[in-house]
Amino acid sequence: MLNRLWKTFRSSQVGRSIFRVGLPESNLERAQVAVSSFFLHFQPAKVHRRSLKFRTTLGLGLISLYLFLILIATGVLLMFYYVPATDYAYQNMKDLEFVVTAGQVLRNMHRWAAHLMVLFVALHMCRAFYTAAYKPPRQFNWVIGVGLFLMTLALSFTGYLLPWDQLAFWAITVGTSIAGYAPLIGQKLKFLFLGGHVVGESALIRFYVLHVIVLPLVAIMLIAVHLWRVRKDGGLARPGAAQPAQEDFAPAQVPVTKTYGLMELARGATPAVGVNPDEEVFTWPNLVFREILLFMATLAVVLVLAIFWNAPLEQIANPVHPPNPAKAPWYFLGLQELVAYSAFWGGVVVPGLLVTALIALPYIDRKPRGIGIWFAKERKVAITLFSVCLGAAVVLTVIGTAFRGPNWSFQLPWKPVAAAVEH
Amino acid sequence: MDSSLRKLYPWFTFLGLLIGGLVLAAFYKDQHREWKDWQHQYFKDEIARAATPEQRADAARLTLDVRQIVVPELDRVDRCTSCHLAMEDPSYAGYPQPLAYHPNHDRHPFNKFGCTICHQGQGRATTRDAAHGYVEHWDHPMLDMNYIQSACAKCHLPSDLPGAPLLARGRTVFEDSGCIGCHKLNGSGGVIGPELDKVGANRSPEWLLKHFKNPALVTPGSAMPPIKATDADLNALTLYVLSFTGEPLSAYYVSMKTIPGPQAGRRLFAEKGCIGCHSVGGKGGTVGPALDEAAKRHDVQWISAHFRNPVAVSPGSVMPQYNFNEQEIRALTEFLLSLTETNFVGFMRVPALMTAVERGKATYRKYGCAGCHGPDGQGGVPNPNAKTAQQVPGLKFVSEGYTRDELKKRILDGQREIPSMDAKRPPAPLYMPPWRGKIAEGELSDLTDYLMSLTPKGEKVDF
Repeated sequence: MLNRLWKTFRSSQVGRSIFRVGLPESNLERAQVAVSSFFLHFQPAKVHRRSLKFRTTLGLGLISLYLFLILIATGVLLMFYYVPATDYAYQNMKDLEFVVTAGQVLRNMHRWAAHLMVLFVALHMCRAFYTAAYKPPRQFNWVIGVGLFLMTLALSFTGYLLPWDQLAFWAITVGTSIAGYAPLIGQKLKFLFLGGHVVGESALIRFYVLHVIVLPLVAIMLIAVHLWRVRKDGGLARPGAAQPAQEDFAPAQVPVTKTYGLMELARGATPAVGVNPDEEVFTWPNLVFREILLFMATLAVVLVLAIFWNAPLEQIANPVHPPNPAKAPWYFLGLQELVAYSAFWGGVVVPGLLVTALIALPYIDRKPRGIGIWFAKERKVAITLFSVCLGAAVVLTVIGTAFRGPNWSFQLPWKPVAAAVEH
Repeated sequence: MDSSLRKLYPWFTFLGLLIGGLVLAAFYKDQHREWKDWQHQYFKDEIARAATPEQRADAARLTLDVRQIVVPELDRVDRCTSCHLAMEDPSYAGYPQPLAYHPNHDRHPFNKFGCTICHQGQGRATTRDAAHGYVEHWDHPMLDMNYIQSACAKCHLPSDLPGAPLLARGRTVFEDSGCIGCHKLNGSGGVIGPELDKVGANRSPEWLLKHFKNPALVTPGSAMPPIKATDADLNALTLYVLSFTGEPLSAYYVSMKTIPGPQAGRRLFAEKGCIGCHSVGGKGGTVGPALDEAAKRHDVQWISAHFRNPVAVSPGSVMPQYNFNEQEIRALTEFLLSLTETNFVGFMRVPALMTAVERGKATYRKYGCAGCHGPDGQGGVPNPNAKTAQQVPGLKFVSEGYTRDELKKRILDGQREIPSMDAKRPPAPLYMPPWRGKIAEGELSDLTDYLMSLTPKGEKVDF
């Protein structure tokens, strides 16, 4: 019945104008659908069998993308209620909780998806490292990935201020003061972010504009380039794939063995070139179905979190009553922990070195070894170095999050020390 | 189709159902709200109570809505009436909450005041616990009804409010206990203890009460002596201190404080020398009639008209026309009215009638000297490690050790360093603050007279 209705619609003038190919029934149509649909053309018509395996990537990049989409959808809805003014912001949160239909669940989804996105982008980065996916020809895509990681942190950090509660106010005060430790430009930079010397109305509007317009646009652009590059660099990294000697855009020089459309010719090392065709499967439905499933799973997890756990909301921001300790958002607590030892090292040198090292990584470690293989034995040194840094970051973050009490003194998470009562 | 795809189908089914279920769960959780139950209950009550078909039809027309009182001037949105639906319906008097009727709201209409300005709690909230403020991250839970009179002081002067006797009593205890000697309130007072301007907003009644009974118990290391008063007085004191919220209110509400009340009238009464001709409480002139019962003999219009022009309502009166403005007339009228209501002898004491010693006693009270030196200079207030028997010295025998000028100098200069009994222990916390620039010359003289008068007749110094 539904099938008949769909067929009638498809064969109508309107239906034909919308869906060029329709639900593909032959291999030709399966190839066509990938090329002619806007939403599917990010992917080639056929992908390597390996790409279907969950083990290959653990779906981390896609999960990050899905979280981003969920964030856009919920974020736009939240914008209908939010007024970026210190007089209203906190009251808006209360209204969302108490009188707006589905307001609380929307805010919860947005909050938890944001935390998850930071986590999953970081995990995705680790995956790319441990499978050596940043090696030629994917060096620059790794750099874009680093940019996206920073963009994710910036998005999460700017959003953190918007509820205008104590948590938001003091996290941003602490976070921006870390930025203030940079030599020469630190204080200027802090002033630029805050529009003043302290967090106030102008900081709120700056963070809001960055959060809802500037950063999302930049992130969308970077994501588009990131995905495009994945495709242009020959799909997912896999062992034994042909390594292009150089960027080559002249189709005539490519020994074409098999094509599915003009787009396949745009680049020297397409997934189809020099590969046994038996290893290739059609993107529709094999990959697309799995991608949809992954989206459903991601959405389900976010929904569960949003239904059972409320996003935190403390007292309204009070500039004269700092909580003890005032903590930055969790992903900066490793830095805050370092800042507690030395403002200069923790606030400037370490984060600066880390970002530089991440960007330089694919240009330093460029021997094509272990590409597409988890924890390849040939990369022992690189893997050890990275793991040590990663471990240090995790340990510092955990200490900063759970083991630091009033006055940043050490405490056990299950035995919290009460802050001294002020007189 | 690829067989590997088939094994995905159960996952599609499972995840599809899961997401559908979660969306339904989220929707249910969102739609099920406490206030709706209370409104349904109210609708049922209304229909059951309806006596006529019209009333029943009215009751049936009630709709499920979040109800709120928006008071922009107070920066408040109070949704309390979403559950407390019968606030304005006297027929619900005595009903169990949340459907009880709120008495005495004729002078404080809900649409002008909302609820939380007096009762506190979280006005925007629509669940019971959150609205009553008994949740984490909400600093102002509902005010215990025992202390509700403290809210009156947000707009009214405590002394001008016959309807809030506990507030006036608390103020008296506050002054008698000499709190102001160490603490600053509204810019005046001592510097030994912290300012009290916002203490009512930051502390709970329980904390305050404990603090008054034993300060060191809730504030370790506090030098403040426990306040010796009856439980009822301490409760009144707590109530009064709770009123120090420092909350900025818009002009309409604060103007209540400037509307002249009996206190202002009393001041005018003293300034204009009315006591020269009239008597109050048996003291004063006899040219004019005694005023204790004046408000019983005449109505408000008569009294006001009399202040405007005495001869107009009282032919042959020799009282001069003072050209009072309307505010002054109102204040004086309130004062006369208050005389019959309070019958409170101390209230009508005007400085001109008092002796220097009596005025000095008032000064002693005004500057909170009793906070450290005890009522009437009896001493006995502990000051750990002070050489003077670990106490703040009493003042009963100052006349034996000081001349008038020495005593004045001592009051003006104070004494920052208190000699220690044991040099190894921390120095004594309480000290004598300098009062230079704070106390007026006349007050100082009166105070000295008072202190000199404290020595009991015929007793000898025994130290």
